[in-house]
Parts: sequence; C-alpha cells; structure tokens
Amino acid sequence: MTATREIVTDKRDQFAFHDDIAYLRETKRGLTRATVEEISAVKEEPDWMLQYRLRAYEHFLKRPIPTWTDGLDKIDFDKIVYYRKPSEREEKSWDDVPDQIKATFEKLGIPEAERKFLAGVGAQYDSEVVYHSVKEELGKLGVVFMGTDQALKDYPEIFRKYFGTVVPAEDNKFSALNSAVWSGGSFVYVPKGVEVPLPLQAYFRINGENTGQFERTLIVVDEGAKVHYIEGCTAPIYATESLHVAVVEVVALPGSKVRYTTIQNWSNDVYNLVTKRAHAYENATVEWIDANTGSRKTVKFPAIYLRGEGATADIISVAVAGKGQHQDTGAKAIHLAPNTRSRIVSKSVSKDGGRASYRGHLKVSPGATNVVASVRCDALMLDDISRSDTYPYIDIQEDDTSMTHEATVGKVSAEQVFYLMSRGLTENEATNLIVQGFLEVFTKELPMEYAIEFNRLVKLEMEGSLG
Amino acid sequence: MTVASPRPRPLRRAPTDLPFRFADRGLAQALAAERSEPDWLRAERIAAFEAFERLPIEPNQLYTTYLDLRNAELADARPYVRTASAPNAIASTKLPDGVAGLIELREDGVAGLVLEPAAQAAGVILETFGQAQARDPDGFRAELEGGVGLPADEKLAALARGFWSQGVRLLVPAGLRLERPIVIRWAVGAPDRALIGRTLIRVGDGADVSIIEELVPSGPVPAGSGQSLLAGTLEVTLGREAKLAVASLQELPLTTVALQHRRAVIGEGATLHWALAQLGSRLVRSRVDNHLEGDRSSVEQVEIVFGGEDQLFDLTSYTHHAGRDTTGNLLSKGALLDRARSFMKGMIVIDRSAIGTDSFLGEFGMNLSKATRSVAIPSLEIDQPDCRRAAHSSSVGPIDESQLFYLESRGIPADEARKFIVLGFLEPVVARVPLADARDRLRERLEEKWDAGIGAGADAAA
Repeated sequence: MTATREIVTDKRDQFAFHDDIAYLRETKRGLTRATVEEISAVKEEPDWMLQYRLRAYEHFLKRPIPTWTDGLDKIDFDKIVYYRKPSEREEKSWDDVPDQIKATFEKLGIPEAERKFLAGVGAQYDSEVVYHSVKEELGKLGVVFMGTDQALKDYPEIFRKYFGTVVPAEDNKFSALNSAVWSGGSFVYVPKGVEVPLPLQAYFRINGENTGQFERTLIVVDEGAKVHYIEGCTAPIYATESLHVAVVEVVALPGSKVRYTTIQNWSNDVYNLVTKRAHAYENATVEWIDANTGSRKTVKFPAIYLRGEGATADIISVAVAGKGQHQDTGAKAIHLAPNTRSRIVSKSVSKDGGRASYRGHLKVSPGATNVVASVRCDALMLDDISRSDTYPYIDIQEDDTSMTHEATVGKVSAEQVFYLMSRGLTENEATNLIVQGFLEVFTKELPMEYAIEFNRLVKLEMEGSLG
Repeated sequence: MTVASPRPRPLRRAPTDLPFRFADRGLAQALAAERSEPDWLRAERIAAFEAFERLPIEPNQLYTTYLDLRNAELADARPYVRTASAPNAIASTKLPDGVAGLIELREDGVAGLVLEPAAQAAGVILETFGQAQARDPDGFRAELEGGVGLPADEKLAALARGFWSQGVRLLVPAGLRLERPIVIRWAVGAPDRALIGRTLIRVGDGADVSIIEELVPSGPVPAGSGQSLLAGTLEVTLGREAKLAVASLQELPLTTVALQHRRAVIGEGATLHWALAQLGSRLVRSRVDNHLEGDRSSVEQVEIVFGGEDQLFDLTSYTHHAGRDTTGNLLSKGALLDRARSFMKGMIVIDRSAIGTDSFLGEFGMNLSKATRSVAIPSLEIDQPDCRRAAHSSSVGPIDESQLFYLESRGIPADEARKFIVLGFLEPVVARVPLADARDRLRERLEEKWDAGIGAGADAAA
C-alpha cells in the first residue's frame, strides 16, 4: 500500500507548465480564406491540397454549430490562432531539437519512455512536428512513420490515395475545420505483411494560450500487416479556452490488424473535438482503445466501418468527468459486410458535478448478414451533483443479426468502501481502488508503462476531488 | 422551417414533413363554434394551435434521425367537426359480460355509453367531454386548460389539444375498487377522414381500476381507399396509493395512421400498469410519458409490436423519476415480418430528488425477414446516483435456432415451432390484458397476422 500512497501525491504541477517560446511564424487570429491560403503557402503544398483546404473552409462556413451536445456555441472561432510554427524544420535526432522544447518534453518523460521500449517518437509541439525518430529497424522494414506534412512531400501518391477517404471534409463541421487548417499529426504506412514489433508513439501537446491544434493523422496498414499506435497528450493549464480539433483516419487493408490507443489528458480549458474513423476491409481487425480524462469538453466517438467480409471491430472507451467537465464520448460500429463482428465496451466515471455521456451508434446495413455485435456501457457516479447519460443508437436492418446491449449506472458501493477501509485504507484510497478496478477493462489493454501512467492520472483526478 | 407546398400532392416528401394540411386556425375556431364552447375553451384551442405551429415535429434531438412520416398520406384527410359529444346523441347499449362500463366512439358519433348500476352508485363517472362541460364545468376546465395532461413540447400532442372533436372522461372516486374493467372503444378507419380524440382518466386515492382501450376498424375499407387518421390521447392522474391497469389493443386497418400520446402523473405509492399491443396501422407514432412524482410510486409498462408489410412503429417512452424510491420497469418487444420497421426509443430520466430509484428499460426485437429494420435507442439521463438500479438492455436477433431445434425434436413441424416461438416472445404482454375475452382476441389476431405474414412471405418467395 505504500506504493499507492506515493502515487496519490499530487503531481499536477509536473504536467501543467508553459514555456515562453519565440514563435517563428504564426497566422493572425481568426479564420479567413487568406488564413487557409497562407497555411498552405507556408507549407509549400501542392495545389490539390490548397484546393482541398479551400473547399473544406467553404463547407465549414456553411455548416451550423451542432446543438445536440451543449456548449459548442461558446467557442469563439475568431480568437483562435490557426497556425503556429515553433521551429523551422523537422528535426531528425533528439540532439537537434531546440533545448527549450526538449525541456518541455523531458517533463513529459518522452525520452525515458523511448529508451525503454517504444519504437518511435513523433512529438508534436504546437502545430508542427518538431521531433521525430524512427528506429532504424523500422526503416528497414519499410515502415513509414513521420509528420503528416512531411509525408505529403515524401509519399505524395499514397498520401493522396487515402487522405480524406475515411473522414471526408464534409463529414461534419469540425472535420471541415480540420481539413481546412490541418497541420502536423502523424502519418504511418506499414507495408504488406509487416508486423511492427513495438508500439509507435506520438506525444503531442498544446502550448500557447488560445492556440488551436488541428493535427491530422493518417494510418494506412497494408494487407496482412500489424501495428499498434499510441497517442497521449498533456497541455498547459490556461484560463481562456483552447480548441483541439483533430481528424484521425485509419485504413486497415485486408487481413491487417491495427490498434490505436489514446490517453487524452488535455487541460480543463480545452475543447477537444475529434473525428476518428477507421475502415476495416476483409478479415481486418481494428481496435480503438480510448481514454478521456482531461479537457473541458470532449466530443469524440471513435468509429469503425466494417467494409469487408470477416472484419472485426473492438472499441473500449473510458471517460472520467470531473468538475466543469463534460465527456461526450462513445463509439460507432457500422456493419456493411457479412460475417463481421463488433464489440463496444464503455466505462465512465463522473464526479464533482462532471457529466459523462455515452453516445453510440451500432448499425447493421442490408446485406451485412450474420453479424454479431455487442455493446456494454457502465457508468459510475461518485456523488449526487454529477450526471451520467447513456444514448445508444441501435439500427438493425438484417434478420440474422445477433445483437446485445446492456447499460448500467451506479455508485461506489458503501460496502466495498467499508471493506477496504477495514483493511487499513483511507476512504480516499478505497474509492481510488474501486474506480481503478471499474476501469480495469481499459487499463489491462495498455502497455505496462501506459497502464501505470493512466492509473496515476485517475488518482490525480480523484485526489483533486476527494482530498 | 419549411413552408407548406402550394402543390396539392407533392411527389416527394421529406421524412419530417407533416402528412396532413387541415390543422389551421379556422378549424380550431370552427370546432369551438360548432359546440358553442365557453371562452376559455376557445382560447385553449387557439393556444394549442399556436403551440402546434411553433413546435418542431420531434422535440428530442436524440431522435430526429429516426423520424419518418412518409408512410402517412393524409393530404386529403378531413377532420370531423360536427358535434358528437352531446349527451342526447348517445344510444344505449347492452353491457357485455365481464365489463363494468363501456363507451364506444365511432367516427363522428358516440355509439354507446353504459356503466353498470353498482359503479354508478359508487360514484364512478364515465362521460363525454360534452357531458363533462355541462355537468362539471370547473373540474373539466382544470383538467383541460393549458394542456396540463399532455407533454408541452410535443407538436402532435398540441394537435390533439387544439383539434379534438371527441372526448372521454373517466373519474374513479377515492377508495373504490372495481372488479371488472371499463372498456373504451374507438372505431376508426373511414377513408380520408381524421378523428382526433382525447381521454382523461382520474383515479382517486386508494382506488383500483382496470381499463381496456380498443382501437378497432369502423368497417371494411375498400382496396385503394385513402388513408384515415386517428390522433388520440390518454391523460392519466393517479392519486395516493391508487392502482390502474391499462390494456390497449391497437388493431386498426393498414390504411390508418395512429398518433398517440399517453401521459400519466403517478402519485405517492400509486401503481400504473400498461400493456400495449400494436398490431395495425400503416404508421404508428406513439409517445408515453410516465411521471413518477409521488414517493414509492411505480410504473410497469409492457409493449409489443407485431408488424408486417411496410408498417412503421415509431414508439417513444419517457420515464421520469422525481419522487423517492420510485420504480420503473419498461419492456418493449417487437417481432417484424416483411418490410416492417420499428423505432423503439426509450428515455429514463432520474432527477436529483429521485433517491432510491429502481429503473429498467428493455427493448427487444425479432427480425423475421431480411427487409425488416429494428432501431433501438434506450437512453439514460441520471442526476442522482443513489439508486437501487438504473439500467437498460436491448437485443435484436433472429429466432433462436436452439429453441427451434428443441421444439422440432419434440415432433413439432418447423412452421408451427416458429409460430410458437414468436407468439411466446409476445405472450408476456398478452398475459397482462385483464379481460379473458380481450386476451383471447389478441391471441387470435396475433396468430392471424402470423399466418398472413408467412403466407405473404411464401408468395414472395415463389
């Protein structure tokens, strides 16, 4: 138990920091056609990308702010800086990364994690990937892991073939915004039959008050290949609102296997609006492992379109909503082909007046015969000023589908707390332990280091509330 | 907002476009004038009309993607205006066996109203709105004015509130226990006609009563006839420790569109049971609101859908827990043949005041042919975690092959076995119908529908 006590100490300060960086180039606040053109020009992009951005910008203007979830009308798009470049070029090795930025990453523990077992580091500082290293062996295997901007230059054919095919610019207002002003993010290509032996990791964070972060990630996994991608993030804490609007596209070609793990810990002033979607072809497996503890408001529903026969989807979604937070998260599985399977597990914890909402969509389209699907949502409420909602949509259009769904909402049982306290734990520790047990379905899917980090995050959250 | 098209019959309608055009201020005024209604009631109709104009067709944004009114073709439908609730229009009817009271409303007339003498003596009142206005103007006004018995955010409830031409009111005095049920029968289905009616039920403290609501065809509908509309309400108030069981059998013609709003306010320690069977109509759009206001109040709702052809059942239920230690138990089951669709939407809301809630919502579908569609949206909104249970569960699947195998292994032919399994799936609701005759009739209807559906399926396959 001593170990537990040690971890429970508040280490928030370590994660909340802000360095004064001389920004080399940034756009004016607000979004106009000129801003979009400027971003594209700075990046020396081909004309098709500029046209794509402009088309997306026009669509962004046309789409209304969604009202099915509340609070998005509070975002002031004119106050956001849409592009900010912290360093002039992508760095190839750790030694070349500017000291000031390196110091930031040191606090996040990236080099340490890398030393131990992570294959590559794509670290995003503000709007540009500044540091990127791919282990030599990955290079030899033909695996591409680089900043998305760089990939547009280095791998134009494969980039253009898949970019925007999974999440079209017109998909929703925020995918349109991202498509117009995207910058940074990761590009991964795994060639046929290659199994990437270690997880690929990208750390990124927001820096700078009111800085928008619009990263774009594209992962293409060729036939029979296998990869695990991990993203995690922390951000400095600010009083005014920040905006994070990302798009993640995953293409899992026949027989491939992709796992995408996220630990989202934005500071509590960030609007985190993310469109994540994967296409799974014949016999491919896609797994979203998604945890949301930070941000003021997160709207994110990792989706898998099961397009090929025999494809499998597995989504684990975890949300912790504390004071002032609304985690509007969930999952979508769209069955478009026969003999496809999906499993969705959602766990949410709300406390101190926080609100956790699960929204899900399970759809079985005509022609998708012999589908097996399950959805399970559990919510834990730690006090009576918090709120929990569950909104699953289940739309079955085939007669031989087998679908089950269950949802429960409850509180930490007094008996459990009493039992643990009788074994010498404080009430705080007992509650921590129960919450961790509740979330274990998620943590057990994480690499060990991440599991520890995630448990620590949960404890920080609990400490904030119960201490 | 879309403006009504000037063309008489637009070729393509959006799923959310209103299928009828009769609801305007003039009709509200004509209805009030026809029955010489008092000023407050005229104002009430106009207020309802204005709410109808103002409100969106679907109040809940969660459900806007699953709204489809295109099955309804009511552009030519004309509502009944002429007065029918006048007491002198009521014919006397013989009371069927096993029934304490009966009111039958037939298109624009009251076909019968009879209440057993014992119930009359005990103070039960079963009357039309016309009679209520004449006998008890103040009480009637209190129950009607402001649409207090209807969901305020619902456009189609505002339709009933503003444009009703028929009304039934049932009052059960405190402490009275009625052994036998009261039957409220609506006979509907004349082509190109719209019948809009309301039912008010008030059950006094400690009273115990059961009601059978029958929605039946008014006569044979010739092939190729225009559609008919039934828009109806059931506005229920339960006093302390009161008990009410409502069984509703909807077996309207497949040319009818049914819009139903049922809302119950359940008092302290009171219990409400709903058993709702949906078989007929081309389009059903139904909403049930259960308000568990009193401490220890409870509601149990079982609903079955048995659909075929291109029927669409669009069913929403709201269970609102406000009192302490309240219980909600809702179960919806749908079996679909042919191209039938069901949208089952259920919402459990637990207020901060609702400590000790036990609430369950189950939505289960059986898709029996390839072109069916089952949508289940069971939602929870919870502000108070101190609950005994807050859960929902749903499943959609085909007939369980192992059950089929078992029955076949006992020598039952495959077709029979399928029928048994499907009817068994729906039986929990059938068993809850309080009157043996009605129960048997429901079983017969289900069986007929199964046989017809399978026959149609075989034809299509041949």
